[in-house]
Amino acid sequence: MNVSMRMLLYSDGSQLGSQALRLGIRIASAMANTVDIVAISRSTDQEGEVVEQAAVAAEKLRVAGVSVTVYPRSGTMLDELLNQAEAVDYDLIVVGSRGRRGIRRLIAGSRACSILKGTTTSVLVVKGKERENIDHILVGSAAGPESEETVRFAARLARALDASVALLHVMSQVALEEHAKAADLEAEAEELMERDAREGVHLENMLKILHQEGVEAKALVRHGLIVEEIVDEARNGHFDILAIGAHTVPGVEGLLSSDLSERIMLSAERPILIVHQGRET
Amino acid sequence: MGAGLIAILLFVFALEMMKSGAKGLTPVLRGHLDIEHAADCLGLGWLMAYVVLSGSPAAAIAMALLSAETLTQIQAFAMVSGSRLGASSIVLLLGFIYTLRGHEPWTVLSTGVLSLLLTASVQFPGLLVGVFMLKQGWLDAIYWPWLTHFSTGINAVINPIMGPITQFFPQWALFVLGGAVITLSFQLFDKALPEFRFKRAGLNRPSRLIYRPEIMFFMGLLVTLLTLSVSVSIGILVPLSARGYVRRENIMPYILGANISTMIDTLAAALILGAPQAVIVVLAHMMSAVIVSLPIVLLAYEPYTRLMSGALEWTLRKRRNFAIFLGIFLLVPIVLILS
Repeated sequence: MNVSMRMLLYSDGSQLGSQALRLGIRIASAMANTVDIVAISRSTDQEGEVVEQAAVAAEKLRVAGVSVTVYPRSGTMLDELLNQAEAVDYDLIVVGSRGRRGIRRLIAGSRACSILKGTTTSVLVVKGKERENIDHILVGSAAGPESEETVRFAARLARALDASVALLHVMSQVALEEHAKAADLEAEAEELMERDAREGVHLENMLKILHQEGVEAKALVRHGLIVEEIVDEARNGHFDILAIGAHTVPGVEGLLSSDLSERIMLSAERPILIVHQGRET
Repeated sequence: MGAGLIAILLFVFALEMMKSGAKGLTPVLRGHLDIEHAADCLGLGWLMAYVVLSGSPAAAIAMALLSAETLTQIQAFAMVSGSRLGASSIVLLLGFIYTLRGHEPWTVLSTGVLSLLLTASVQFPGLLVGVFMLKQGWLDAIYWPWLTHFSTGINAVINPIMGPITQFFPQWALFVLGGAVITLSFQLFDKALPEFRFKRAGLNRPSRLIYRPEIMFFMGLLVTLLTLSVSVSIGILVPLSARGYVRRENIMPYILGANISTMIDTLAAALILGAPQAVIVVLAHMMSAVIVSLPIVLLAYEPYTRLMSGALEWTLRKRRNFAIFLGIFLLVPIVLILS
């Protein structure tokens, strides 16, 4: 068990909140030492039910040796979680998401997106059908140093849950000039590693980290558009959790950049872990 | 600077030569080549771009033919659309030459193939939008009295030189000579362009960053406005990547933007010719490209990129697929003219 991880969970009486709470309890039991549960009620009628749900969850965690504090609150899930995350330094927040897209998202918004934007803490967004076991984790890697933290977080999660990891890199590039090494753009993971291509070297280094943690791991490379390929691999590979890095780019480039983590989170139909940099425990 | 000035002078002279010679071409186009419908003109512009390995001279020729009333506005519009398709298709000819040589490096032409797919996806619907706009006469109300003065001013400078030339050559030869000179002027202009480097601007991490599509769209539009050529504009991206790659998420909206502003040289040709009907055709072409491209970038970007990326992968997956793709784009303009 991890000895220093602090997690934030919530109960709000909803089906979605309950699903997020159940997965949160499972992960916290395996890798956290401190958990705060915010029991959020929108009305006084709901307060008893919500606090009761939080108390049951707290008891399960205490049995697993985790220190738990329950905070009864009234308000919206979004505001209360963000307020709590601002007050205390957490390593992971677990939230549920309906996975609204398109017009429905334009009208109703996405609470998960608002939480991602409102905090620098790593977030596990619980969505899609509930899974009995967490056996396979897919980690999306950008083949750069910024991916290392995502891989380390996923390695600890996989070790705690006794899950295997597949490390995925997507080659979305096309050759811009005649002299470009087009063969690298079509190569599979093994070929890239044998050739010592930049992506191959990165994948090898990340596999080393996973193996050092005692996690069974393999590298995959897909070719196409980044978001589509990651989501497709997660679905067709039957992965239980998808882990990616938060797309935080400072300065002007941040304003000009597209937020891939948000797009992946909205497209993926399974729990997705979004790891912020500089938050490693 | 000197080469650029010579290129501009040659461009102006070539346009006047073609304008003077265009009337003599009517019997050839209508009689021998049977160019009467918009579809014929689409094929003609397309094939002409293949012959001169560039779309700009073919589009400028369409403007000259329109100003001499050899073509109608809709025919000229179709010819300009054909020139854009032909310009993008040139990459397929290069791929064909590579394949004949026994190489299989058509994947290095992937940006070119992608550019053609994107151009075709905008030009065909844009053709319908543009023809509709011209038929409705939406732009006919635009009136520029200064255009006549501008053209008269140019003619006053050029006529003393053009006079003896027009008397020496038959009209058809004058047109052909003008076509050759305008092609030369574009080549000279390409060489005279200063080298831009995005690296200096700090945008030097494209292999990792995915920029917003609307940002890349306007960047493609602006850079092509400065360089006057889609291929030069895309070439400017090369220093952004040490390995000569670019992410397709970034290049797709960039090319869509570039396809709009690449018409700026055709607009210049229409203005120099002093033909309001030609200016209207170019504006209709640019506006139809905006009308088709902008909703794609702002509203349907994800499904569009999936479609284009899938088509690119299919084309480059097998030698047979590439041959089919090549065959379609080589045969369609010929079929258009013969039909």
